[in-house]
Amino acid sequence: MAETSLISRGTVVRGNVRGSGALEIQGRVEGDVTVTGDVLLGEAGAIRGNVSGESLTILGQVQGDLRGTEAVLVERGAKVAGDLSAPKIGIATGALVRGLVRTDGEPALAAGRRGAVTGQAMRSGGSFQKSPARAEAPKPAAVEPDSEPPPAKEERKPPPPVVPALSRGTRAKKKKSREQE
Amino acid sequence: MAGTVIGEGLTIEGDVTSEEEVVIHGNLRGKLTTSDAVTVGSTGVVTADITGSSLSVAGQVTGDVTASERIDVQPGGKLVGDIKASRFTIADGASFKGNVDMEI
Repeated sequence: MAETSLISRGTVVRGNVRGSGALEIQGRVEGDVTVTGDVLLGEAGAIRGNVSGESLTILGQVQGDLRGTEAVLVERGAKVAGDLSAPKIGIATGALVRGLVRTDGEPALAAGRRGAVTGQAMRSGGSFQKSPARAEAPKPAAVEPDSEPPPAKEERKPPPPVVPALSRGTRAKKKKSREQE
Repeated sequence: MAGTVIGEGLTIEGDVTSEEEVVIHGNLRGKLTTSDAVTVGSTGVVTADITGSSLSVAGQVTGDVTASERIDVQPGGKLVGDIKASRFTIADGASFKGNVDMEI
C-alpha cells in the first residue's frame, strides 16, 4: 500500500524502520530507514542511520548515508554528514553536506569503463583521489597504441629512462600516441 | 497535530517513544511508550509492551499493556498479554488472553 507513515515531532524511534510506502519524519530516528517510497525529513527531524528510499527530501539533520533510487534533495537548512548517492542529487544553497556525493544509475555518465573505475575507487578508498584511478584507467586503452610503437621504441634509444617511470610515463606515452594520430 | 502513524507495509523494529498519539496500521516489534493514546488498526500487528494513556486494538497486539486511562479491544481485535488499566472493554468478536489488573 502506498500509505504515508509519519513519525511525528515528539516521537523517537530507536531501531530500524523499513517497508513500503512513503515516510515523513518530523521526529527522531536512531537506526536505518529503508523504504520503497519517498522519504521526507522535516526541519525538526533527525536521523542517525542510513536512509534509503525512492526520492529523499531532507530538511533536517542526518548522520548517515542517503541513498535514493530516484533522487536525493538536500534542502536549505538541512545538515547531512554522510554520503549521498542517487541518479539525481540536489543540494540547495544553505544546506550543509559533508560526505561523498555520487550521481549514479545514469547511462549518460561518460563511458562505462570510467564509471566502473570510479566505482572501484569509491569502494576501496572513498576519497576523491582521482589521479590514481585515472592513471589506471588509460592503461588498457594505452596498450593498443603501445602494441604498434614497440619496434619504434627500440630504434629510439634516447627515451628509455622515461619508460620505467610510473603513471607519469604512461601518461606521456599516451600523449605522444595521440599526437601521432 | 496528527501524531505518529505507522502505515500499512511499514515495519519498525525497536523502541518507539512518543509524546503524541501513535497509530499503527503496520508492524511494530520492540517497545512502545507514549504519554498519549495508542491505536492499533485492523491491519496493525504489534509485538511489544505498550505504555500509553489509552489503547484501542482492532488488529493484533502481543505484549503487556499499561494504560493510565483505558484499554478497548475492538471487534476483530486480538490482545494477548497482561494488562493494567482502570477501564477495560472487550467487544463482541474480539479476543483476549492474559491477566487483568484494574487497580482496585
